[in-house]
Amino acid sequence: MKKALIVTFVVGMMTMFSANAQKKMDRFMVQVDGLGCPFCAYGLEKKFKEFKGIKNVKIDIETGDFSFNYPAEKALTMEAVEKQVEKAGYTPVTSKIERANGKVEESKGSVLSDSGEGTITKKMMVAGNCGMCEARISKAAKSVNGVSDISWNKETKIMEVSFDTGATSLSKIEMAIAKAGHDTKNHKAEKETYNELPACCHYERITK
Amino acid sequence: MKTYQWLLAISLLTATRILGQGPPITADKPIMLGGGSFTTKTLTEIRKTERGTFVYVPLMLHYLPSSNSLVAVHLPYINYDIENGASGSSLADIKIMGKYQFYRKDATGKTFRVVAKTLQNLPTGEELDVMELSTGKYSGYYGIVAGYETLKYGISNEVGYNWMPDGTFDEFRYKLGFGLPLLKPQYPNKQINLYFEYTNSWLVERDWYQLLYAQGVQLALKNITFDLAVQVPLVNDVDAGRELRHSIFLGTRFTF
Repeated sequence: MKKALIVTFVVGMMTMFSANAQKKMDRFMVQVDGLGCPFCAYGLEKKFKEFKGIKNVKIDIETGDFSFNYPAEKALTMEAVEKQVEKAGYTPVTSKIERANGKVEESKGSVLSDSGEGTITKKMMVAGNCGMCEARISKAAKSVNGVSDISWNKETKIMEVSFDTGATSLSKIEMAIAKAGHDTKNHKAEKETYNELPACCHYERITK
Repeated sequence: MKTYQWLLAISLLTATRILGQGPPITADKPIMLGGGSFTTKTLTEIRKTERGTFVYVPLMLHYLPSSNSLVAVHLPYINYDIENGASGSSLADIKIMGKYQFYRKDATGKTFRVVAKTLQNLPTGEELDVMELSTGKYSGYYGIVAGYETLKYGISNEVGYNWMPDGTFDEFRYKLGFGLPLLKPQYPNKQINLYFEYTNSWLVERDWYQLLYAQGVQLALKNITFDLAVQVPLVNDVDAGRELRHSIFLGTRFTF
């Protein structure tokens, strides 16, 4: 009986410490350009393994979304993360940190690499349903100064947008689309704006 | 034949400890993975010509001082069996390679890069007069590699000139390669890739011209690949008795 109590106590403490330790991880999300093959993704992961303590590395090579957890006490900066992406030989586009204390940091959304100057083409998910959604998304994106081309596929929900990195950023385009009522991965539409959309446009909202 | 099997076994076993990265197989590519890292790789070539058979086993050590530069040394071993001639095994020509990526344009799931490349061939091998393998003479190759890689396909181009002081192996070279993944792109890696690679080689002084076609297949897992390619001549405009019959490339590449 005494033994069982001790074991239960130890297991309980371990679970508590483990859960506590997990809470103290910062979550990093970076959109990376230039991952042209899975080997590139491996190169990126390999480079980030230099950050001791890195956990839950996830890379979606189709969207370029790269995320990982890192101990909060090490206070890893966005600048260091972006620099590491560059060192791996790729281009960081947008970055977001969800700190363990609840604070959220976002990069301005500009393309961070010098080599990214000029017009670039990006793909990203934009929620929507129908032809009307397509027209609204296109109109919203085109309203942003610097956007030269945009297409959105209602089947895949993927938007392909070309824009001048000197004039705008992907984040600004996302914000314009969200303002028009469509969720993107990093920017959500206001509930009121969404409710005002025609019934056929009431898409399934992106949840985190 | 036993020697070939032995060399092949060594090559494959060594390769499990060897790093290599990515495609293509007989051509080169402009993508370099991560600055400040060391890599090693190998790719055994069994070359059958009218003159004889050559088995070439290189051990390649690569170092990337930064994400856009690379220096490498290739330590090759060769086994040769020349018809009505010499046979044996020896060190082949050691090669020192340098690459510098001077242009990069990235987008989601795709990248275009251009790299300047030099390959210095040291006269450490026997004078077997076998292009790129063992000449026993110094030569310097200077070229440009450009590649466009997406998740759906890859294209690589290489154009360059090989200069040798006595002109024997002065060569104008152009390579064109296409890569096609057969499985949906996913990470961690699980891919089967097909490669279609063309090599144009014009030996200026000898006025030899060869157009070679290589068909390759690659199984790529997270950090290991198994490569197999067969190269055959489409045009074999060289001296009688020196024609290429075929080459077989075998490699396992491991990244750590």
